[in-house]
Amino acid sequence: MSRGTRFRETMTGSMRLTTSGRVSPVRLDLRASADHVLRPFGTTLARVEGRVRVAGLADDPAASGELEISPLAARRIRYRLAFTAGGRRLVLDGWKSITPRHPVRSMTVLPFTLYEDDEPLGTGTLRFRARALPSFLAGFRFPRREDPDALTAARWRGAPGRTEVWYTTVTDPATGTGLWLHHELTAPADGSAAYAHGWAAVFPKGAPVRHARFGPVPWKPEDRGFAADGVRAVPGRLAGAAGAMNWDLTEQPEAAPLFTFPRWSWRRPLLPAAQILPAARATYEGTVRYEDGTLELTGAPGASARIYGHGNARRWSWLHADLGGGDVLEIVAAVSTRPGLRRLPPLVFLRLRRDGRTWPRRPERSAIGWAGALRFRADIGLPTWTVTGRAGLRRIRVTVTQPEDRTLALEYTDPDGARATCRNCERADAQVRLDRWWGRWRPEADWRLDGTAHAEVGTR
Amino acid sequence: MSLDGLVAGLLASDGTEEWAARTPHRLESLLSAMPLPSRAGIRAAARAIDAYALVRTGRRLGGLTPAEREGVLAALGARPRLQPMLDVLKVPVLLAAGTERLAGRAAPPTAPVPADPPLDCTPAHAWPRRSTADAVVIGSGAGGAMAARTLARAGARVVVVEEGAHHSTASFGRRAPLDRFTDLYRDGGATIALGDPPLLLPVGRAVGGTTVVNSGTCYRTPAHVLARWTQQYGFAAAAQLDAFLDEAERTLHVGPQSLDVLGANGRIALAGAAALGWRAAPLRRNAPGCRGSCQCVVGCPTGAKQSVQLSVLPDACAAGARIVTGARVLRILVDPGRPGGPRAAGVRVAVSGGAGRRGDDSAESEILAPLVVVAAGALQSPALLRRSGLGRHPRLGRNLSVHPATSVAGRFAEPVTAWEGVLQSVGVEELHSRGVLIEATATPPGMGSFVLPGVGRELRDELEDAGRLATLGAMVADLPSGRVLGRDRVLVRYGLSPRDADRLLHAVRAMAQLLFAAGAQEVLTGIPVAPRARSVRELDAILGRVGPRQLHLSAYHPTGTVAAGADPQRAPTDGTGRLRGVHGVVVADGSLLPSCPEVNPQLSIMAAALAVAEAHTGG
Ligand SMILES: Cc1cc2nc3c(=O)[nH]c(=O)nc-3n(C[C@H](O)[C@H](O)[C@H](O)COP(=O)(O)OP(=O)(O)OC[C@H]3O[C@@H](n4cnc5c(N)ncnc54)[C@H](O)[C@@H]3O)c2cc1C
Repeated sequence: MSRGTRFRETMTGSMRLTTSGRVSPVRLDLRASADHVLRPFGTTLARVEGRVRVAGLADDPAASGELEISPLAARRIRYRLAFTAGGRRLVLDGWKSITPRHPVRSMTVLPFTLYEDDEPLGTGTLRFRARALPSFLAGFRFPRREDPDALTAARWRGAPGRTEVWYTTVTDPATGTGLWLHHELTAPADGSAAYAHGWAAVFPKGAPVRHARFGPVPWKPEDRGFAADGVRAVPGRLAGAAGAMNWDLTEQPEAAPLFTFPRWSWRRPLLPAAQILPAARATYEGTVRYEDGTLELTGAPGASARIYGHGNARRWSWLHADLGGGDVLEIVAAVSTRPGLRRLPPLVFLRLRRDGRTWPRRPERSAIGWAGALRFRADIGLPTWTVTGRAGLRRIRVTVTQPEDRTLALEYTDPDGARATCRNCERADAQVRLDRWWGRWRPEADWRLDGTAHAEVGTR
Repeated sequence: MSLDGLVAGLLASDGTEEWAARTPHRLESLLSAMPLPSRAGIRAAARAIDAYALVRTGRRLGGLTPAEREGVLAALGARPRLQPMLDVLKVPVLLAAGTERLAGRAAPPTAPVPADPPLDCTPAHAWPRRSTADAVVIGSGAGGAMAARTLARAGARVVVVEEGAHHSTASFGRRAPLDRFTDLYRDGGATIALGDPPLLLPVGRAVGGTTVVNSGTCYRTPAHVLARWTQQYGFAAAAQLDAFLDEAERTLHVGPQSLDVLGANGRIALAGAAALGWRAAPLRRNAPGCRGSCQCVVGCPTGAKQSVQLSVLPDACAAGARIVTGARVLRILVDPGRPGGPRAAGVRVAVSGGAGRRGDDSAESEILAPLVVVAAGALQSPALLRRSGLGRHPRLGRNLSVHPATSVAGRFAEPVTAWEGVLQSVGVEELHSRGVLIEATATPPGMGSFVLPGVGRELRDELEDAGRLATLGAMVADLPSGRVLGRDRVLVRYGLSPRDADRLLHAVRAMAQLLFAAGAQEVLTGIPVAPRARSVRELDAILGRVGPRQLHLSAYHPTGTVAAGADPQRAPTDGTGRLRGVHGVVVADGSLLPSCPEVNPQLSIMAAALAVAEAHTGG
């Protein structure tokens, strides 16, 4: 799967049965995968699997079929799906027809006909949210130089004084509840045995934050990611139990990897630490149980990230904001613990993925700037912290608020033995304003996240 | 602007006759069916006449007394250069007036007609927006029907997509001829080929295509034409056309028109020919049991005429073909970048007439099929191919032959009542070897191509005396002098060649000869500046001073715009009807014929479509 394509789509709509004239709601939750990178100018065949629901007629979680993706050549994206309805074998055949006159509408509308033994049973139309379109299109650039699964594999090769983190944050769109799963490997600087530990936390709306820890247990290498104390974080799967909590989730990457730090810093760990997202956005499905409730996730947005380095910064802040429509903002601002660097204002790594493109173009741009003068600035504090900066013809201002009652404070130990405290909020608010220079600054975009931003401020 | 004054003036009506009072309203509804340019042309002419009246009298036509109006129109009619403008107005006014006069006479209710053989028709708004087929046939006319039947019988799942609606024989009996006229023809029948002279080029739009409104005349392709097509053009399919012509004749129940219902118009043609010793006979037609209703051109009200929706399409549907109606193909879908070159993938269709539909692309539907048969007729097929990005061949849309026609009327001492009998009844082939084919053709009043002379009182007298007129038409085998332009809207140009102009003048003389030989007192030439001749000598004098531009030309047989042939440079389709440059597109209508068939073309088109479709069934 190093050069394949995968994406997930949910489409809703309705259909009319020819004989009875009855109109029924229809919903498709599909996963598509192809062995090839999507070629925008060619035709790609992909497999689709998923769930087909036609109210009063069918609910088949094991529907399967094929997808013919040819947005520019044939200007058609065709779905052929077979599923079962009470013992009857039905086939849904439909296609989006891309017309240059209405690119968005034509990309999001799927008229179809439903057949039984080649006889039409009814017709209908499905739509998928136009907001999901950019990420779908972004899929076409997937010629992954980085294999996201490889990015999940453990990096640690036995050196002392290292820490490695797999963490996942999710927002349940149905309830507004936030979720944080943190898996960590610590190899103490004193050369003692590496250990694994972590925690899970749920941030329900209108109820106190719940969390539980697992580990520490001795570290045992796991090729594909993290596995310790019955807790696993591997490509596509997050499962485990801690205290009163247990969870079992599938993870579906929805976008290309995002390197918050310069790409090279992940391959050659010269910086104190580096963070990456194997997929800038992902969706989650499954169940999380905690002491006073159960969280059922379907298509819940979020992301997994990875950190590898010497330990935490002296002061840091982090933001993951799903801006909708496939756009993502990721920020890491940190003041180094290293002597000499400590007095510097925080280095800011800011990545805005918009319409499939990432700004600023180079990650080090926001941190270093041209000769340091134009670096982005962070003003780290609580409950509100801000980041501002300018690159090229755009400038950005990000304000993050982590209300205290929605924030969880946790302590932990760095490889050097120092205690660190992080204050994490998976129901943070954020305001992001983007301006563009057209002879003067004019607003280009404005996002407001109300309880759906994922943020953290830490100190040690 | 109200047309009342104009109509009253042209028809010298004092407003007391009911039919004349209803005519302006009828005219308005006729105009509304016409394409914008024709409508605008007619309105502009009407305005110009009103302005003329205003300048001369200080009042508009509508405000004048009948006598004053007559004065204005007489002054206009005396100016030869204004004749073309007047004719533009007279054609629709006579059509409307003819209808209303006939309606006043309360035609006897026709006997109940047998039900039409069943078709599988679905209006486009009830057709799924996404469907698939083995073959899509665009157009349900002469060619499309034959192709659909052949493919369906070979086991293919065939969908025929037709822009027009389905009309049953019973519906023809229920409606006035003119109402049917505006429904059954594209552009309300006012399709014009621009040129000098311009010519009227009507084509049908309905399930059955132009065969619904054609005259039912069935000529086999002449042997010398077949030989030319195979040898000169390399239209390979023409080599077996004889067998396919047999098959087409069988399907349409072709036979000579029986004499019992022939009517006086045809009998006059036979008598004239007999007197001159010319070769003539009742035409072979596809209308067994014809009752001489004389309404072929607005849909046969008795179901006798075997148009393809009564003969070929029922067979196709019995073999599983389905017809989508009210469905205009916007474009042929082409998948480029396939190994081996671009390939047809189906069609995109505009859906008309669906209640509660939005006017955007939600009113479009798509049918995927690996084989697309183009049979939209010689005027529409080139435009359709251009819209589909398949119009690159330099000869596409060119090579248009139309078989131009003109007509002449003779006045007899006794009533002829030409509209009682067979509409196109007798063929006079004496001059056929010289490219002139004469056919006795009479239509319901106002509906023929013959334009009565004069304006005002003179026109009114002609109209009232029309019962004593017999009319003949002649078509001349023409060089491919026309061209179809346009992608979305079709524009036809036709530049009559000098050779064919001579043929037309020659044809006028021959028709006059026939009419005089049959006893006509006077011949109406159809030439506005010299409308009457009392002898062949008088006519010769007229023909000596006028040119073909003075003739009223019309044409019913467009062919050749996506011609078949062996030479890839000259012919957009190959010898078996495959469109060059793309896989899976086959042409099977009048466009395919390499040159003018020199006879009424429906059998030739059907046989060619049969040959092409057979070639693609591997049979
Ligand atoms: C008044 C009149 C009398 C005639 N009399 C005779 C006669 O007596 N004998 C004779 O042999 N011939 C006669 N003809 C000519 C003959 O009928 C035609 O030549 C013949 O029908 C042409 O066949 P076709 O398949 O090329 O096209 P058509 O029969 O014209 O069929 C084309 C069909 O395609 C449809 N179409 C066009 N564009 C589209 C689109 N984009 N999407 C979907 N559908 C589309 C049209 O609506 C039409 O129904 C007459 C013609 C006229 C006008």
